[in-house]
Amino acid sequence: MENIVSLQTDSDGVATLLLKMPGRANKINAAFGAALHAAVEAALADPAVKGIVIASGHKDFCVGADLDFLMSADDPAAFLAAVLDLTRLYRRIEQGGKPVACALTGSALGGGYELALACHHRVALGDARVQVGLPEVNLGVIPGAGGTQRLPRMIGVQAALENILQGKILRAPDALTAGFVDALAATPADVLAACRAWVLANPGAKQPWDRADFAWPAPSPLSEEGRNILMVACAMLYQKTSGVFPAPEAVISVVQQGAALQFDRALEVEARAFVKLALSPQARDMIRTFWFHRTAAERHEGLPALPAGADAGIQKIAVLGAGMMGAGLAFLCAQRGYTVVLKDISQAALDAGMAHVRAEAARTARRKGEARAEAEAAAILARLTPTLDDEPIRGSDLVIEAVIEDMAIKHRVTRALEPLLAPGAIWASNTSALPITRLAEAFSDPARFVGLHFFSPVEKMPLLEIIAGAQTSEQTLARSLDLCRRLNKLPILVNDGYGFFTSRVFAAYILEGVQLVAEGHEPVLVEQAARQAGMVVPPLQVFDEVSLRLGRHVLDQAAEYTGRNLPAARQLLIDMVDTHARVGRVEGRGFYQYTPSSRGGFKRAGIWSGLRDLAKTRPVDPVRAVADTAALSRRLLLAQIAEVARCFDDGILRQPRDAEVGAIFGIGFAPNTGGPLAWIDRQGAAGVVAELEALEALHGERFSPAKRLREMASKGERFFAG
Amino acid sequence: MPVPDAWIYDAVRSPRGRGKENGALYVTRPIDLLAQSLDALRQRRDLDTAAVDDVVIGCVTQTGEQGACIARFAALQAGWDFDAPGVTLNRFCGSGLEAINHAAAMVASGFHDIVVAGGVESMSRVRMGSDGGAIWDAETQWSVGAVPQGVSADLLATLHGIDRAQADAFALRSQQRAAAAQAAGAFDRTLVPVRDPSGLVLLDRDELPRADTTIEKLNALKASFEVMGTQFGLDNLTRRRYPQVEKIRHIHTAGNSSGIVDGAAAVLVGNAAAGATLGRPRARVRAVALSGEEPLIMLTGPLSATQRALKKAGMSIHDIDLFEVNEAFAAVPLWWMQALGVPEEKVNVNGGAIALGHPLGATGAVLLATALDALEDRGLSTALITLCIGGGMGIATIIERV
Repeated sequence: MENIVSLQTDSDGVATLLLKMPGRANKINAAFGAALHAAVEAALADPAVKGIVIASGHKDFCVGADLDFLMSADDPAAFLAAVLDLTRLYRRIEQGGKPVACALTGSALGGGYELALACHHRVALGDARVQVGLPEVNLGVIPGAGGTQRLPRMIGVQAALENILQGKILRAPDALTAGFVDALAATPADVLAACRAWVLANPGAKQPWDRADFAWPAPSPLSEEGRNILMVACAMLYQKTSGVFPAPEAVISVVQQGAALQFDRALEVEARAFVKLALSPQARDMIRTFWFHRTAAERHEGLPALPAGADAGIQKIAVLGAGMMGAGLAFLCAQRGYTVVLKDISQAALDAGMAHVRAEAARTARRKGEARAEAEAAAILARLTPTLDDEPIRGSDLVIEAVIEDMAIKHRVTRALEPLLAPGAIWASNTSALPITRLAEAFSDPARFVGLHFFSPVEKMPLLEIIAGAQTSEQTLARSLDLCRRLNKLPILVNDGYGFFTSRVFAAYILEGVQLVAEGHEPVLVEQAARQAGMVVPPLQVFDEVSLRLGRHVLDQAAEYTGRNLPAARQLLIDMVDTHARVGRVEGRGFYQYTPSSRGGFKRAGIWSGLRDLAKTRPVDPVRAVADTAALSRRLLLAQIAEVARCFDDGILRQPRDAEVGAIFGIGFAPNTGGPLAWIDRQGAAGVVAELEALEALHGERFSPAKRLREMASKGERFFAG
Repeated sequence: MPVPDAWIYDAVRSPRGRGKENGALYVTRPIDLLAQSLDALRQRRDLDTAAVDDVVIGCVTQTGEQGACIARFAALQAGWDFDAPGVTLNRFCGSGLEAINHAAAMVASGFHDIVVAGGVESMSRVRMGSDGGAIWDAETQWSVGAVPQGVSADLLATLHGIDRAQADAFALRSQQRAAAAQAAGAFDRTLVPVRDPSGLVLLDRDELPRADTTIEKLNALKASFEVMGTQFGLDNLTRRRYPQVEKIRHIHTAGNSSGIVDGAAAVLVGNAAAGATLGRPRARVRAVALSGEEPLIMLTGPLSATQRALKKAGMSIHDIDLFEVNEAFAAVPLWWMQALGVPEEKVNVNGGAIALGHPLGATGAVLLATALDALEDRGLSTALITLCIGGGMGIATIIERV
């Protein structure tokens, strides 16, 4: 145990509790709790100790709960006992009778920050890389070691809820402003010194909530104003989540309940709510995807890698096409230190692209403070050459082609530019759907041809879908993955086929949405059904964003490559675009109507009133509205599920993890489910097959259950351990 | 044994005072408001209060001055016999009528002989909602769902195509009818002035009506629940049950919703034998009914409560001469009339809560008294009183003159 928490008392009587678990980080589990408990009791019992400083021997202070420990818990009584042990330990720290300060020389998240909250004073290193916060809701749980009770009492209910409900993580300077920490210091040594000085100067330290004269930061949750704030918080939360996330809902509940209770029992209310959520299917599924799968993807686990010490041999990158994606990519690559050539065939397009690049450079640089801003922006721009000519491309190690989605044009561009490239260069297409193997036919060495499917806006979207064509080499994949890491993207690696993984599933989703409207379902119900399924953006809204013209093109292209079609949806799109000139948000008229926004562009103002006539929408039966919406939610999910499962049959998916990571981080698949495969597991494959068969009978073969799914159903298999 | 009828011997009420600091009744404790009504009732029928089996009082916000069973202490304050007990009940806006129905049930069952029923609410002194309750819990929001009533009223209007113009026109009629009724002395039989400790009159007529209002003035008012509904997002909370409603149209204003007022009422209920001491009864209770509906829309209870009461009484809607449908919000009576096809001429003939105010716990008893007076003035026989109730409930009572 000594090697987890060590205790050292100096001549002034300040005991330092150094947290240093074996491995690279401090994570809260039973062993951590026991070691901290022993050290705290020892320090409290030693009459020579006047004050305590809790510090970390690792880079971070403490990054929260050990999720392996959490995922292995299954008995609510035993788990509650463990949680309450930790609660009591934190209570002991703040009520032990000696001042305790917390030295945040690195990040303190979740249970780690809750430990900091249980100290009387928090000093953080004034470095933007040091982060604090309570991000629990992002994993389907709530803070379980006092966070929902201490933070509101410290910074007020409204501020605390804003942070906990969004799972916000604050950088140290912002944390000081927000009241999450009490002071900043310039170096780790200064942090420790400040803590020591504070405990020596505050022998009678007591938490505000343990003082007889405790008053809530105004407005108190017990006041009428506080009550109204809580009601509005509920409304705002529901607006964002449509009721699919129990964790943030529970946060408001326990903050409100606990506010009126004796503090120790308030902590118990929180602990009981935490245990229920932590053992819930949703938390399991979200933790698996948002933590384990994501971390594995970040570490490129199971993906091709360059030999240790080898270089990817990519210095100069040519980006073809200066549209939104091309310009964004050029900026990103230049920002990460690559030499970049951005080429287009139109001066106007190139100018627009460069305007975007400059705006991004300025914006990114602004965040870092004026002094370095200009230098940084200048450096990015200096690495980036816009051109209408081919010649500057000469010697590029990588081409990222982002020209129009047309096989013939892409082939032509490939043939024209290949001779200019450096020997061994990689040709990557950013196509979102066209088969890589066929695109590679125009390239002399298809082993060096790959699909790099980025998502728009590329500066923000975390995912990179890497597509291996039939002949793409492991070496090319490894080099591409190196680029991925340098661009700070989250990779999935899939095999070739029209639409790959993400576009296939995404198209299935949004086309099903339009199909539902074309069948006469009330568009408002369709959109609401998508929200209630947990989909991040409802389908008609998506269409308006990407433009109906593009949507129609995708539909036709899909028909060309897959032979599958949705005639009713197609006709509706044709009528919308050709007859009614409703193209989407860019023109302020699409499935939605718009009003001009004060910030430029357009603001949604409800479903276009003419849509119901056009689609012959049936009136909603108010008695059935809730049930109908639930059925539409299922159908929107199952249209995607059917496609995901077929991606196994078609050999697109190499491993289950990619389905979850791709769907969640690429296309806004319902995060509350943990991903499409987690959803299948929760329903049981047999149930999903039965539901798909019923839908297939009614709506066609796009719902036909994949062979993989039938096999799993017959063998009772699942994708992931429960 | 034949089940005895429940007779209504008499009814009194206070005038309704504006429910704010500038209201005439703001200087009066709620207990005194109620005690003065009880005292007036006793005097009218020379009531031997020792013979009163119970005093059943509706009061919604039972906290502060209205907490701790105001019924019992108001009876004592009024100098009633110790042996006249008291109970205070809360069925939200239906409390006053619930008190009468409860009294009628005890009498009709034979358990009691004489019961005084009524209600009280000083909204100026005890703020609506200040009694807290699980309805405010976030946890209840997630498991049951709750929105402010105004949002419910606007949702009801949106779902049934009731627009602002209809609501304002209805509000104007409420004002005009109330003004005409006041001018004609239609409330005089029932109204008992509220007095201060020296006996000086504080208020002798309903304070709220605006006889001078116009449709233009009503149209100019701001929708009361728009900011709450759209800016603070409370409209969204209705989506779980009304996914088809893309946008709630906010039509209710301070002008076409019920007014916040102070008031009290008391009704004397007894069996036939009680007539020997109480004198001639004025009406009998034909039927009572309750209903429970979806709580987010909250205000739809009166329809099924009406239908149930009619069924119990063996009557059709055409057998009822006059209706009192509480004007909590204009959309409620408008929707109720739309749903049942009842002509406006029969509904709230002396105006309603939009013009006169809605003293929550007292309103049901006030409406019963108003209906009885209107029947007598017009020489008619039957009336149905119904109110929408928080939590999605409804209540109705059918009375018949004797």
